[in-house]
Amino acid sequence: MTLDVVVEKIRAGQRLEADDAVVLFRHPDVVAIGQLANDACERRHGDRVYFNRNMRIEVTNVCVASCLFCSFAKLEEGAPGAHTMSLRQAWAELESRIHDPPSEIHIVNGLHPGLPFSYYEELLSGFKRIKPDVHMKCFTAVEIHFFATHYGMTYREVLQRLQRAGLDSLPGGGAEIFHPEVRARIAHDKATADEWLEVHRVAHSLGMRTNATILYGHIETFEHRVDHLLRLRALQDETGGLQAFIPLAFHPDGNGMRNLPAPTAIDGLRTIAVARLVLDNVPHIKAYWVSMTPEVAQIALRFGANDLDGTIVHETIYRAAGSRSPGALTTAELVRLIQEAGRIPVERDTLYGVVREYPRAILPEAALKVRDRKATKHLEVVS
Amino acid sequence: MNRADRRLRVAAVGYLNARPLFEDLDREPASARMRLDCASPSEVARRVAEDEADFALMPVAAAATIGDLRVARGCAIASRGTVRSIAIVAETPVDSLEALAVDLSSRTSVILARLVLRARRRGREPRLLGCAPEEAVACVSGSRGALVIGDPALAIEGRFPHVLDLGLAWFELTRLPIVFAAWCGRPGTLSFEDELLLENAKRAGLARRDAIADEHALRSGLPAASLRAYLRDSIHYDLGDEERRGLERFYDDAAREGLLPRARLRFFDEDRRSAAPPPSLDSLLARAADGERLSANEGERLAAEAALFDLGLAADAVRKRKHPDDVVTYIVDRNVNYTNVCTTSCRFCAFYRPLGHPEGYVLSRDELAKKLKEVVDAGGVQILLQGGLHPELRIEWYEELFRWMKSEFSLGLHALSPEEILHIARLEGLSVRAVLERLHAAGLDSVPGGGAEILVDRVRRKIARAKCTSDGWLGVMRIAHQMGLRSSATMMYGTVDTARDRIAHLIKVRDLQDETGGFTAFFCWDFQHERGTRIEPGEHGTVLYLRQQAIARILLDNVDHVGASWVTQGPEVGQVALRFGADDFGSVMFEENVVSSAGTTFCMNAEGIERRIHAAGFKAARRNVHYDWLTAPA
Repeated sequence: MTLDVVVEKIRAGQRLEADDAVVLFRHPDVVAIGQLANDACERRHGDRVYFNRNMRIEVTNVCVASCLFCSFAKLEEGAPGAHTMSLRQAWAELESRIHDPPSEIHIVNGLHPGLPFSYYEELLSGFKRIKPDVHMKCFTAVEIHFFATHYGMTYREVLQRLQRAGLDSLPGGGAEIFHPEVRARIAHDKATADEWLEVHRVAHSLGMRTNATILYGHIETFEHRVDHLLRLRALQDETGGLQAFIPLAFHPDGNGMRNLPAPTAIDGLRTIAVARLVLDNVPHIKAYWVSMTPEVAQIALRFGANDLDGTIVHETIYRAAGSRSPGALTTAELVRLIQEAGRIPVERDTLYGVVREYPRAILPEAALKVRDRKATKHLEVVS
Repeated sequence: MNRADRRLRVAAVGYLNARPLFEDLDREPASARMRLDCASPSEVARRVAEDEADFALMPVAAAATIGDLRVARGCAIASRGTVRSIAIVAETPVDSLEALAVDLSSRTSVILARLVLRARRRGREPRLLGCAPEEAVACVSGSRGALVIGDPALAIEGRFPHVLDLGLAWFELTRLPIVFAAWCGRPGTLSFEDELLLENAKRAGLARRDAIADEHALRSGLPAASLRAYLRDSIHYDLGDEERRGLERFYDDAAREGLLPRARLRFFDEDRRSAAPPPSLDSLLARAADGERLSANEGERLAAEAALFDLGLAADAVRKRKHPDDVVTYIVDRNVNYTNVCTTSCRFCAFYRPLGHPEGYVLSRDELAKKLKEVVDAGGVQILLQGGLHPELRIEWYEELFRWMKSEFSLGLHALSPEEILHIARLEGLSVRAVLERLHAAGLDSVPGGGAEILVDRVRRKIARAKCTSDGWLGVMRIAHQMGLRSSATMMYGTVDTARDRIAHLIKVRDLQDETGGFTAFFCWDFQHERGTRIEPGEHGTVLYLRQQAIARILLDNVDHVGASWVTQGPEVGQVALRFGADDFGSVMFEENVVSSAGTTFCMNAEGIERRIHAAGFKAARRNVHYDWLTAPA
């Protein structure tokens, strides 16, 4: 099959099938694919690009799973580098920023075998006590599955108890690659694909919105990526509860696949673009700047992405795997990144309600004070 | 102040044959409305291109290069038949000349000569040899002729056995007049009353034609009678329907032959009557993708209106046409900064230290030897040697350094940007040519294109006051190219520059490349804001970088290679840039060569470069400074 056939389908508004998506992945001219995705993105969102003011907290990196791609988790409490925050330490993260609070707290953890379930409930309710309107986007489906097996509950019971404690939505992590050929090799001892999808299905049935991710660029093939996208699309057809899809680039430093190179920027842009075209029922495709670098994330805003995630503040998972991205971006920096791409920055809340729309390109004073960018000596430039 | 209230800034070519058109603009009533200034043809064009003049009496080739200018009706420097002042002279028949010495900066005359010769010789033209205008005649010998222009042409009438008068030759070819220059400006500049002032000035000037000729005779030593006849009979000053057809024919032929951007002749008064819609963006992009030469104005339009992808696809098409084998090259070399002591204190630079500063350094031989040995050990082929403008390093220091490097290491020496060459010339009281000749003799192989920043002086004055003018930079490159030294060209944007400035920069590089052909490659990057720089960034961003590089690939139709600047943009963006017109990935970076002063720095070895080239869908090959492949593409 050639690209022309796929383009024809896209023009005619037909749904893409697995073969079509593989053609898009394999096509050498990433710019042509990007253009198709950009058209689809602009049809849905115009020039608007979303970001939010969020804050990441990883309360523990102790984890019973042994995923090959992970540089973050430490297997046991007491292992070098292992840490678990006390509830007070975790809450202090928000309290210290209460003068300029984030609208969302995004918590992702290791699968800690030694904490009581009440730790997580108190964690949530404590944040809500400090700031009742903060949106708690916490615990991947892998964690929910772990809670269910570890504490002897159904997914529904786990989610309902957490919801009562303050959980508002689920992040999209832990999806990795669904296909068993890959999942068995890189993430054999945590939730399977069906379990991951079932957790989201139950969350959607409880009225929660969730996100979904893919971890690309390691041992998987394009066919595996397409399989992954189609499983998500099928779930979305069923529930409609997915808000955003977020491709995550594999970073090799210090993990079980350190012999592999990281995927290149072009692979990242291609993955964003194909996701936009295949996931016709998922409204938002996110260029997660922590994974892609802010510079490439900016380009991705022209390759099908309409969301830059948020200010982040603290991120330790990608840092551990050798990401070069800065630890945080200010609102002004995000606004500027979006404006430089010729888009309209829109600050959103977690559920994509508009908090503030910025002008297209007239930079607010604050945004002109740019971050210290790539510090390369002027004369070191190649000529 | 309202545009109509302000005096118009007028520039005019100061040549004899132009004087009847402009001399009376200095007198009432025109002088109340216009402020006249005479300059060389290239300077006149530059002022209009960079908005330093509102309109100008300029050569028609320059007008086409800027693009989308309007022409004042009724006035021109034209000829119908024998013109006398533009001719090819030779000792042997012109139609069988093998080489032709020309002043390549006289673009209109050179294009006229090439069109005439190609038509007469069925597309086969003699090899063009660039020379200074006053040297052309001396170049004539055997099967080598010369294109002579202006006073030198009038002075040697009758001296050579074989003469092709290009006014006459054009007329025989087309049965149309040739237009050399006209009043041109951006749309809407001239009102009906302004055009009337020009016509009245012309009428007064023509009435004084003999006096103008006599005055010039006194100054030039040419016979007055000959000059009187020249102004009366050889040149005429009307721009009517015939001349319009002649100029349109000239533009069409030159565009077809790839010598000029496609130009559309339009008078100021046609705008006043009806606003014709501009050609569609799609047709412009299609012409870009087809490799057609675009004007500055068309480049500005792409910069303002074209979508990122359209630019990328057009630039990729241009790249593919120039490099159909889909090979992306890179070089294993090392950037060595021999000193950070510098006297220019550019506002965008965090690297320099003033003389006597505790952090100032000049690399010792031992330090250099260590660095160079590492390059050799790593399979490197070249040293890129640049530094600050050190006020105490004399030319002998450089000569000894170069000789030593060449005798101890077999590495190419890509050294000293134009600014450094000019600095040495000033320090030593030598000409640029003399400096380059001595350094070349000592081992200099090629010249890096750094320090170009933006080749628009308004911008340069703001960001690099102590640095050379754009003409200074281009002048060093011209001489280097004439000596057979190749160089790269660069652009650093994103300070106070506008889209128009960046296009003007590209056009200046393209114009010089037409003259010399000495540029191997073009690289651009945005200003790197960091601690220690004293200027706020202007128009910025990764998306802009990709657009800018794509536009460069489209406009620089005569430069073979465009490189992605991964060192400034990062390896990831550098890779993406390969899909936006680049066919070169620059250089590997030796880790310890980059001093990290303010955070992240980028570092990439050959394996990392090749992996990214492959992942972008290309084959990779190592190269030398001439872009010859040193490894088989794989």
